Amino acid sequence: MLAKINSYALNGLDGYGVTVEVDIHMGLPNIDVVGLPDTAVKESRERVRSAIKNSGYDFSPRKITVNLAPAHTKKEGPIFDLAIALGVLLSTEQAGVDEHNNPLKSVKDYVFLGELSLSGEVTRINGVMPMLIAAREQGIKKIVIPKANINEAKYIRGIDVFAVQNLREAVALLNGETISPIDKCDVVLDSTNCGGEDLKYVKGQYAAKRALEIAAAGGHNIIMIGAPGGGKTMLAKCLSGILPDLTEAEALETTKIHSVAGLLDENSGIVSVRPFRSPHHTASRVALTGGGPSAKPGEISYSHNGVLFLDELPEYPRSVLEILRQPLEDGVISVSRVSRSVEYPANFMLVASMNPCPCGYYGSATHQCTCSPSQIQKYMSRISGPLLDRIDLHINVDEVNYDDLTTDADAESSANVKARVNAARAVQTARYAGTNVHSNAKMTGEMIKKYCVLDAAGERILQAAFDKLGMSARAYTRILKVARTIADLDGKADISSAHVAEAVMYRSLDKAVK
Amino acid sequence: MVLSDIYLWLSYSHVPTRKINRLLENMSPSQLWDSFDEENIYSLDDKTFGQLKRTRNIEYIERAKFYLKQNNINYVTRADPIYPSMLMQKEVDPPPVLYYKGDLSILRQPCLAVVGTRQASQYGRYVTEHIVTELASAFTIVSGMATGIDGYAHRAALSAGGKTVAVLGSGLFNASPASNLRLFDQICQDGLAISEYTPDTHATEYTFPQRNRIISGASRGVLVVEASLRSGSLITANCALDQGRDVFAIPGDIDKQRSQGTNRLIKSGAIAVTCADDILDYYSIKAKKSQAKSIALDFAEQRVMEVLDMGEKSFDGLVEMCGMTVSELNTALSALLIYGLIHEKSNNLYAVSR
Repeated sequence: MLAKINSYALNGLDGYGVTVEVDIHMGLPNIDVVGLPDTAVKESRERVRSAIKNSGYDFSPRKITVNLAPAHTKKEGPIFDLAIALGVLLSTEQAGVDEHNNPLKSVKDYVFLGELSLSGEVTRINGVMPMLIAAREQGIKKIVIPKANINEAKYIRGIDVFAVQNLREAVALLNGETISPIDKCDVVLDSTNCGGEDLKYVKGQYAAKRALEIAAAGGHNIIMIGAPGGGKTMLAKCLSGILPDLTEAEALETTKIHSVAGLLDENSGIVSVRPFRSPHHTASRVALTGGGPSAKPGEISYSHNGVLFLDELPEYPRSVLEILRQPLEDGVISVSRVSRSVEYPANFMLVASMNPCPCGYYGSATHQCTCSPSQIQKYMSRISGPLLDRIDLHINVDEVNYDDLTTDADAESSANVKARVNAARAVQTARYAGTNVHSNAKMTGEMIKKYCVLDAAGERILQAAFDKLGMSARAYTRILKVARTIADLDGKADISSAHVAEAVMYRSLDKAVK
Repeated sequence: MVLSDIYLWLSYSHVPTRKINRLLENMSPSQLWDSFDEENIYSLDDKTFGQLKRTRNIEYIERAKFYLKQNNINYVTRADPIYPSMLMQKEVDPPPVLYYKGDLSILRQPCLAVVGTRQASQYGRYVTEHIVTELASAFTIVSGMATGIDGYAHRAALSAGGKTVAVLGSGLFNASPASNLRLFDQICQDGLAISEYTPDTHATEYTFPQRNRIISGASRGVLVVEASLRSGSLITANCALDQGRDVFAIPGDIDKQRSQGTNRLIKSGAIAVTCADDILDYYSIKAKKSQAKSIALDFAEQRVMEVLDMGEKSFDGLVEMCGMTVSELNTALSALLIYGLIHEKSNNLYAVSR
């Protein structure tokens, strides 16, 4: 008998329905899975066989053909285990049939997702949230997921979700037993545990801390340049504690990606704080952008709506850095492979740190740099101009002196800074309501014209800065954007000359390269 | 044979200038050309003899002249009256030919060489720019177009509207370093670039010290801004002494490598310079001084100036001493930097400009 069970699969973040067809006929005992399965899908034969046997059902020794339709797209992962097992049971008339052994009509209403363990347990799978959202949009009403995925499913309204613990429960559902769908709830973002270090433990470094505050408030890309031991990495780790709270829409977007990647915390089910990703500099291009045969998301998508921290920026291969340029501009990365082409959101804030030269002490007040000018130039040129163009804030982070290190007084805590950042971000959210811009850093040219109007004094300061400090032209819009954020932090509607003057201070690389 | 062509022959033979000048001590260039023969009558070493013999060819020299003309390279030989008189001095070891781009006449105005280390600190950069800007109206600034102090000196002179001369350690076609090529173009446009080497010559480790004698030779005095004990700038200073030029040096911290060279110069008799007037007074020159504009400072800016007047301060130090928020301090510092009242001495370390 031929059985059909609905299942679902993802292509990037978009889903599509998969029909699992199971046919049993005479022949040598064997299971064949067709429909472009990958290794994990092929292996599901063994899991299904054991799960059926260990759940107390009969696995008949006949030839079984499983087809995953549509047959032309590649299927991957173990999410079809449950559907295949149910298909086998249905076609052997052990489940989902009425007293005359005809399939129940209700079978078609459900979509089944889940991996099986050999004991028949239904175990956790990746990508449940994007699948639920996509399924809802395609008009699917009922979906069955593993119980372990319940946390991320409970936020998606408008679709009945049934959570099953093991194969027997799924069979019961198929047999028409009434199980109530899981309860839904509102998204509650708990931002208390944002991880990272607290700013109050960072002694001195006032300029850097202020720059981080501005960067967090406006979503600006920032680069910290300084001698080893200055605390660049420590400062970056503090950043996650002062980032503005996620909005619900942002949280769901980020959760979708994390769900696909399997990064989601099983207990919370939603990404409630902005992600902070710091890939090591041995990371490959694909690890950063995403890709592979199945076009998986990469680090820049994992840090969507959060921070991508690249420590020791010049140590990254240039080819890896250059690929950041387009996503930094567009906020999306389009990953194309032979079999598929997928677009992932990648709206991240780039935070980078670097030494000013190979020995690390160029421009230091306390150490003598031992590098030759050509070495320094070579080191700096590992980071291309176009990439630096996209970084709004540059700051020097120098060694802290001994007195500062030994003071007992705590500095301002992250919580205080975060309150200011949140207030400034709220202003921005209100200003850009109705557009797809969320922060000052992403302002379009038109918005800059509209929102970054300088008064005469501000113009004068900027003009003087360009003449006297040898600023480059590319700094112009960057300074305007940063000045806008400083004004927002200050609670002012207009950008004053003081805001511009402060913004000028955060362009140290422009000043250096004359 | 025209005298200038004979000098071109000597230049294109690539025989070191020192050897040529020794030959010319006893005879005129024409005598050398005429008497130079198949046989090595001057008991020259084989290499020198071979170089001179191979290039002693009228057709070859004509081709060289055509090539120079085609590529817009000017040249002046010792036979020409416009050959810089300062360089004719015996101790300078005058090259037979100078190749140049730009305006040769600016070498006739009083020149001052400003040289220093390639690894300049931000302080060295500030000092160079500060002093050169004030001197540019009185002197043509001569330097070697290297990175570091040399480059800052050229740029400061150009941006102050003054004249500047770059003496290259390579031929004019092989100007280096690459990072200063835009500067080189600018100097060719608004100043003068000269070289004693034929245009296609590549720089070697010997050519740079060689050209230092021309930097000092063309100038009335040499100002060394920052130099370690092994710096090439000290060679320039030595050349200056041999040639009877004045040597000025900027004193620096005694524990900094970059200052050890200059401090030693001062110890052995160089004139210590702490401001442009030291040099101007020495030569009794009155420079046109720009009237210092009095700038109205606001309260925060005044406070920062008061604190910095007591000595250089790091950013963190300023935050603690001035008692203002980081934002206010940044605003004040930014304004003061733009007014030119303070400068960043090294990363995050600020000091008053005097």
